[in-house]
Amino acid sequence: MTHLREEMGRRIVIVISLIVTLFWLFPYLYLISSSFKPGSQVISIPAKFFPTQLSIENFSDLFVRVPAFKYMANSFICAVASTIIAVILGALASYAISRSGAKLSGLLVVLVLCLKMIPTSSIAVPIYNIITNMGLYDTRFALIIVYAAINIPFVMWTMISFYKGIPMTLDEAACVDGASNFYTFRKIILPICMPGIATASIFTLFLAWNDFLIALLLTSTNAKTFTVGLSEFLSAYSMDLGPMCAGAFIFSFPVMILAMFAQKYIVKGMTAGAVKG
Amino acid sequence: MEGDFTMGIISRKTLIMFFLPGCIFMGIFLIYPILKMAIDSFYTFDLTGASSFVGFDNYIKAFTTASFLTPLVNTLVYIIIAVAVELCIGLIMALLFEHQYKGNKIIRSLILTPLMIAPLVAGLVWKLMLSAQFGIVNQILKDLHIIEDTNSILWLADRKWALLSCTFADIWLTTPFMMLMILAGLQGVDSSMIEAAKIDGANKLQQIFLVKVPNIKPVLLTALSIRIIDAARTFDIIWAMTQGGPNNSSEVISVVIYRTLTRYNQVGYASAMAVVFVIILIVFTLVFMQSLWNPKKE
Repeated sequence: MTHLREEMGRRIVIVISLIVTLFWLFPYLYLISSSFKPGSQVISIPAKFFPTQLSIENFSDLFVRVPAFKYMANSFICAVASTIIAVILGALASYAISRSGAKLSGLLVVLVLCLKMIPTSSIAVPIYNIITNMGLYDTRFALIIVYAAINIPFVMWTMISFYKGIPMTLDEAACVDGASNFYTFRKIILPICMPGIATASIFTLFLAWNDFLIALLLTSTNAKTFTVGLSEFLSAYSMDLGPMCAGAFIFSFPVMILAMFAQKYIVKGMTAGAVKG
Repeated sequence: MEGDFTMGIISRKTLIMFFLPGCIFMGIFLIYPILKMAIDSFYTFDLTGASSFVGFDNYIKAFTTASFLTPLVNTLVYIIIAVAVELCIGLIMALLFEHQYKGNKIIRSLILTPLMIAPLVAGLVWKLMLSAQFGIVNQILKDLHIIEDTNSILWLADRKWALLSCTFADIWLTTPFMMLMILAGLQGVDSSMIEAAKIDGANKLQQIFLVKVPNIKPVLLTALSIRIIDAARTFDIIWAMTQGGPNNSSEVISVVIYRTLTRYNQVGYASAMAVVFVIILIVFTLVFMQSLWNPKKE
């Protein structure tokens, strides 16, 4: 009897889990179905979930109305380049912090934590002024260096917890054997820290790709990223909601796929600090 | 002693070489802007860019006018609603997805997918769904006979609902994060404690609230503090859904700072608001971290 009841309970849990999952994915499914509706059906009254006919009108409209490929390329280049810079510099700097003696590192960790939570909107204007003074307004280079700078604290925060897990005797051994610090870092520490590097890279990549505020502030035409392009459909008439859905879908689809494959690292990155306390 | 010893491993020169490049980046684009912001908050700037020192006037203005206090209250309301709901749903989801069965990994990774979606996109999707005439939410509510007409609730155009509507997008986007954190905590709970509780005759609810929840308290607190800070900084979602409207009813601090800067060009006043905001966040985090880490050390 108890076995039967347990089996029932298990089934109920599975069914409820499925319902919750479906419910939670609903907004995204609705976005997908809306992007494949004919443009006029997106704003049809009454609203329907399923398209009565499939169409790629919204996608072609999107590409006609805005240079979507260019925006996509801008987003991609800025995200990848800034991630590379942030991860290299962040990994080096946090290695220095973690091996530099207790007092100093404690202070720096607090500083990094504080930098990590500075609201971007609050430092927007000084950043804008610096970039315009450097003559870099509306360039991809400006976005790359600003994203890199803003994400370095995050990389450092992630990497420090990884370095902590590596016994310092390893560094010492290499040092005694006559290896230079940089050699030790590159050949011994870095390979062990690869999961940490992967975690930090994925997060910085997503942060830069998904950024809206900085791109809104620092670009106008040449370096405009996809998020800014997407936001411009907001101020337009409701007729544009179709292409907007198509754009939102194109923009977030690669993210979803990558997130699925990299889930191991994402989970690690999000829970690393928490579980250890 | 340990400090001295480790200093020996990395020479001071290498230390600086490793640390400096990252430091320069952060110095130019994070630390300098913060200092600039702190200084600017004591000045006003006219249209030509000339500045004049005004002491604490900007701060006094912030604390005596609705242009700062209303967004401050809105931000608090936003944080409380969003984070409380995320915590409750996240806990329920975690307890649900904790069960092992065939295919539970697939379901779990499906529910984690919103995690990496851009907040802006989340805002756009919910704006579409909550639209009064052609939004699907009102249509479903009408089909379920909860509301009579699709115009009965103007989610985004009604002052009563606008801020709450924005929290929907936040909740949708970040509850999976909450679930993930709690799930990680639950996996660390010693199963023998639950067995012991079972033998003592504790029912399912007692097992959850008397054994599991107290055991994951540190994880819960960390997740809460991360989420509270993130919710306080929300910009994209609000910008996508309401831009702070109608009538500033959904304006939060980061939106009002951005608008004061770009639309009204009041750099001094915006800086003062930002300084107050940053101080609140930092004090909150330090207090929270202190209470979080210290009991564990004892």
